[in-house]
Amino acid sequence: MMGAQPFETIVGAHHAEIFRYLRRVTSRPAEAEDLSQETFLRAYRAYRTLGPDANVRAWLFAIATNLSRNHFRSEKRRRVAHQAIAVESREADPEGPEHEARFGEARGLLETTVAALPLKQRLAFVMRKIHDLDYDAIGRSLDCSGESARAHVFQALRKIRLSLNGHELPPAGGVERRASPAVATDRRGTDVPPSESPLSMERPR
Amino acid sequence: MKRKPSVCVEIEPDLVAAATGDAEPGAVHRVEAHIDSCGACRDEFHRYREIEGVVGTLRRTPSEAESLTRARQGLESRLADLRSRLVSYRVFPSPLGRILIARSEHGVSLVEYLDGDLRTSRLSRIGGVELQEDGAEIETLHRELMEYLRGDRTRLEWPLDLRLARSDFHRSVLRATAAIPYGAVTSYAGLAAEIGRPTAIRAVAQALRWNPLPIVVPCHRIIGTSGALTGYSGDKIGLKRELLAVEGVQAIGTRSDSRVARNTLYHYERNDQHEYCLPTCGDIARRPIGAVTLLASRELAGAMGLVPCTACRPDLHPLAA
Repeated sequence: MMGAQPFETIVGAHHAEIFRYLRRVTSRPAEAEDLSQETFLRAYRAYRTLGPDANVRAWLFAIATNLSRNHFRSEKRRRVAHQAIAVESREADPEGPEHEARFGEARGLLETTVAALPLKQRLAFVMRKIHDLDYDAIGRSLDCSGESARAHVFQALRKIRLSLNGHELPPAGGVERRASPAVATDRRGTDVPPSESPLSMERPR
Repeated sequence: MKRKPSVCVEIEPDLVAAATGDAEPGAVHRVEAHIDSCGACRDEFHRYREIEGVVGTLRRTPSEAESLTRARQGLESRLADLRSRLVSYRVFPSPLGRILIARSEHGVSLVEYLDGDLRTSRLSRIGGVELQEDGAEIETLHRELMEYLRGDRTRLEWPLDLRLARSDFHRSVLRATAAIPYGAVTSYAGLAAEIGRPTAIRAVAQALRWNPLPIVVPCHRIIGTSGALTGYSGDKIGLKRELLAVEGVQAIGTRSDSRVARNTLYHYERNDQHEYCLPTCGDIARRPIGAVTLLASRELAGAMGLVPCTACRPDLHPLAA
């Protein structure tokens, strides 16, 4: 049977997000443009066989992830990628001039660190922290278990923690309105309202 | 550098998860209990909370709008191109041997009796298409075809993609053939007359030799004016005979000289009264199958808008079933 929704609907609903994901894991806009197109061309070839209950979004992330991994299999491309991001990351900070002065450096360092993460960690980190995919879906994308996916994100955060050592950061919960709940929940979609939890807003005693 | 106590090393993944909003409830309680008593880990926890805040700013970074638009527009045009090129197919067994069915987004484009592997298929000789072995949609076509071959279905109402036809003439022959109803048989000459090209009998036969959609476009319902089955898909006269038998049209004779059994079929010779006859009506059964159409049943005749001949009265003297 045909997929439950026409393919145009799938493109309309997910292309921008998949592009954003790919833009974050690649170095140049042209790469993300091409990979996002490839993702949907592949999806088109296969979507008729998709079951009516399939999680289309997670499936698209898996295709995009696979394509990225093939794309970066060449080490040379990776090196170019790091250099490009290292330069680019200084350019934009959405927080205004004062923040730029105080925290812009940390933000730039964060981007550089993310860009330099081993590929699997970077993909897992971006899928989890920027796109809120659950660990099982991330695991399926990366051909590993949900637990391994969780470990990749943990390793990524440790590296970020080390690279930001000694840098002043905005106080937790003060600047960041999107503070996440401490307890893992099903965080589908990026527009979940920030929820409160004992660990999210207050400093521990 | 001081080594971390093992309890702190062990709880680190949970601590990071809890600080970054990613922990299971049980882990949160363990972490809370631990940082109550461990100052170093409490600082560490807070540091990760701050990091989570900075990481959160990555979410808000908008995509470059120009690049996104370019990606989307490029996608639309590449998708349109792919759609026009993509042909999905599947090969499966049938009572008539292995059959390949292929379809594009417009409809079924090829039905082929496959003697060898895919490399011998016409599909592999078509340029500019992307082939894809496919499941679900073609599965439905396959099921319907099997029903048809068993005699459980009399129509294959498939959307057709006639792009593999070689010319407009070819397409017009295929369309006229597709209009011949189940259980009716006519001749190449009859079909040529039907499309307004009464002298193009050989061209019609040639066009059907290259029918890309056998069974669906029922070229097996077209025979010689003598009643001989003539040719089918190369030398597969036997298949033509089987397909006709499914529809109630029997053939007699040897493999090399098969002809339909006209004495078992109703005859319709084009006339203004739209009357159909028994094969015993006058010398109708001896006339060439030019303007004559052979019909397997009276129901079919009725469905075609024909009425019983007032002389031979097929309504009162039906052919033995």
